[in-house]
Amino acid sequence: MKKRLAFAPLALIGAVALAITGCTGGSGSAGGGAGGEPKGDPNAEVEFWSFTGINQKDGVDKYLELKPDAKVKLSEVGSTTETATALTAALAGGKVPDLVMIQNDDLPKFVENPGNFVDLRTLGGDDVGEPYLDWAVNAATGENGEVIGIPTDVGGLSFAYRADLFEAAGLPTDPDEVAEAWSTWDKFIEMGEKYTEATGEPFVDNVETTVFFATVNQVSEKYYSDDGEVIFESNPEVKDAFQVAVDTYDAGISAGIAAWSSGWAPGKANGSFAVTTAPSWILQGLKTDAPDTEGLWRVATLPEGAGNWGGSVIAIPARAENPAGAWQYIETMMSPDAQLEHFTETGTFPAAETALESEEVTSYTDPFFGDSKIGEVMAQSVLGFSEFYNGPDTSAIGGALLNALVDMEAGNTAPEDAWKTGVDSANAALGG
Amino acid sequence: MTTTATTPAATTTMAIITRGGPKGRRPPARRIRSSWAERVAPYAYIAPFFVIFAIFGLFPLLFTFYVALFDWNPIGDQVFVGFANFERLFADARFWNAFVNTFGIFLISTIPQLALALLLAHLLNHARLKYANFFRMALLVPYITSVAATAIVFAQIFDRNFGLINWVLGIFGLPSVNFLASQVGSWVVISAMVMWRWFGYNTLLYLAGLQAIPREIYEAASVDGASSRQQFFHLTIPALRPIIIFTVIMSTIGGLQIFTEPLLVAPEAGLTCGAARQCQTLSLFLYEQGFGQFDFGYGSAIGVALFVIVVVAALINFFLSTRTRGER
Repeated sequence: MKKRLAFAPLALIGAVALAITGCTGGSGSAGGGAGGEPKGDPNAEVEFWSFTGINQKDGVDKYLELKPDAKVKLSEVGSTTETATALTAALAGGKVPDLVMIQNDDLPKFVENPGNFVDLRTLGGDDVGEPYLDWAVNAATGENGEVIGIPTDVGGLSFAYRADLFEAAGLPTDPDEVAEAWSTWDKFIEMGEKYTEATGEPFVDNVETTVFFATVNQVSEKYYSDDGEVIFESNPEVKDAFQVAVDTYDAGISAGIAAWSSGWAPGKANGSFAVTTAPSWILQGLKTDAPDTEGLWRVATLPEGAGNWGGSVIAIPARAENPAGAWQYIETMMSPDAQLEHFTETGTFPAAETALESEEVTSYTDPFFGDSKIGEVMAQSVLGFSEFYNGPDTSAIGGALLNALVDMEAGNTAPEDAWKTGVDSANAALGG
Repeated sequence: MTTTATTPAATTTMAIITRGGPKGRRPPARRIRSSWAERVAPYAYIAPFFVIFAIFGLFPLLFTFYVALFDWNPIGDQVFVGFANFERLFADARFWNAFVNTFGIFLISTIPQLALALLLAHLLNHARLKYANFFRMALLVPYITSVAATAIVFAQIFDRNFGLINWVLGIFGLPSVNFLASQVGSWVVISAMVMWRWFGYNTLLYLAGLQAIPREIYEAASVDGASSRQQFFHLTIPALRPIIIFTVIMSTIGGLQIFTEPLLVAPEAGLTCGAARQCQTLSLFLYEQGFGQFDFGYGSAIGVALFVIVVVAALINFFLSTRTRGER
């Protein structure tokens, strides 16, 4: 017995060693995109990684209709973040796919090391990004001009509101009038105060995603300056954007229901709030969450107009086995006409400028949203979107500021301390 | 004691059997030397474990120590930075926050859990229970239930808007509690989950230990006039010491690495387990830095720190739980 006990500390260390998982990673692969013709047979199998929830299968089916000899093996890896994590692991030393979707929020980390991907200029020429929104292409462009991804879609931003609740509160109900009434954020808050006074109910679902995500993307420089310096702390535009969210909370018009929290879906159905953020890809979820509110919602231009939330690019890893097949997919499915057709079939908002200006997009309406001019509103929001540089820590900084607002709404941080809390935690994330 | 008395002859026989006899015949030495395979065989039998452990356990562990010295981007550059990651770590409020959370959750979940498990095992062992086997099996159900399923159910129970607890509070006209928004509240939710999952497992371990204690000791104690409370503290607990040590150490190792529960308790809160990192544990912080931010060097430094913390905590617990014997 005694002897066994004497060994126990040793065994213990062994057990701890067993139980703790370490992170491993292979060495990063270097080497830029191959020049000239892509190697491989365009009709050989293409391994394609996409995310769940965007129904990529529709696109693949369409492609196979157009190219009956081609073969595509589609994997829906997981959420956008999970897919980016899996891609990172694969790039670091595993088997890479031939074709992969990357969500815009995850993009800066990959753009920072463009050598991991095929420079698409080598396949499609120097003007390969020409047809698409400038800011969307630039988001996928490396330091020396390498285009590592073609924009597949963008997340045109608008606000959705309940016309019936607006009417009961004595507010305008027509989308154009509403957009006019809340043309600035100050007016938006005033409107919310009127609403809350009249009904006793909160106006917006929350201030972090609905207000801050919108305001912080209506800037000329965000967390980085145009030459890549971290400036979020000193940039007055960011602080103002944050302050709008704090003011909205201070006005007492927020329900404090975080997006995707348990109260959010029921809140949309039972009128816990009257306004929520509405990027193009969220509209379907609104229908699913609150089917009984058909015809009550409207979609209007958000305060101060422009916005984008989300969107993705499609890329070919440098070590892909079949870049020829991957490129054939991109050429076939990402042309402006193909994106437009994909929009009419699935509602995925195109990233190609001609598609955004087309009749099909601008005239798009939906009876669920009272035939609001959804297409026009969203197209305007992304066409008017002003460009700014996103660096590798953009999402970490954004997450820290967002969390400070969430914590303020939970009552844990005083509104006047929220900015400092957010800045401190963003600086911690940066390693400062 | 008459029942256990043995004849002298029987005692001698026992001695001969156990000692192998006074002139126990040994096999010839030559045979041992010739069977080299026989000597190697035991090592070959245990080799698969150690080989696999070396590849999937030891190598990643050592490699983590190595990576912790770099600014390591998995898809970019790897720059040697010496101990800079550790300097940053010790100055990082998020690390200490995770440290406090981990120990908070560990203490709230483990201490009452082990005490209750011991008590329940005692009851299951001594009471004249009908269907005792049913109760013993039922204890294992939470353990074999997937953590993910447990997390979803508990998240529902403690939910701010539609949770069972807040519903009950509402019936009595009390305001609803947003458990996950506060630090202690979220610790309680996670601890409840951990207790639910491991309570039965530890009870069964204690029960197995209790059943191995000979009845005669208790009978003797009763004859000597020891109350059942005295029996519990002076017989049961000392006899269970090896098992108590085992459960304490395993709970320490598991509890300090808690990951799944805080990750799943509030999916919308993400890898920080809430906006103020109110329930982010060390493992979750490691995962956030390593696989959320792809900062493998810093993530590895957290891993090394976690390793040291777990070893130290387990050693402290080990010496504390072995020392209690000396006090008797």
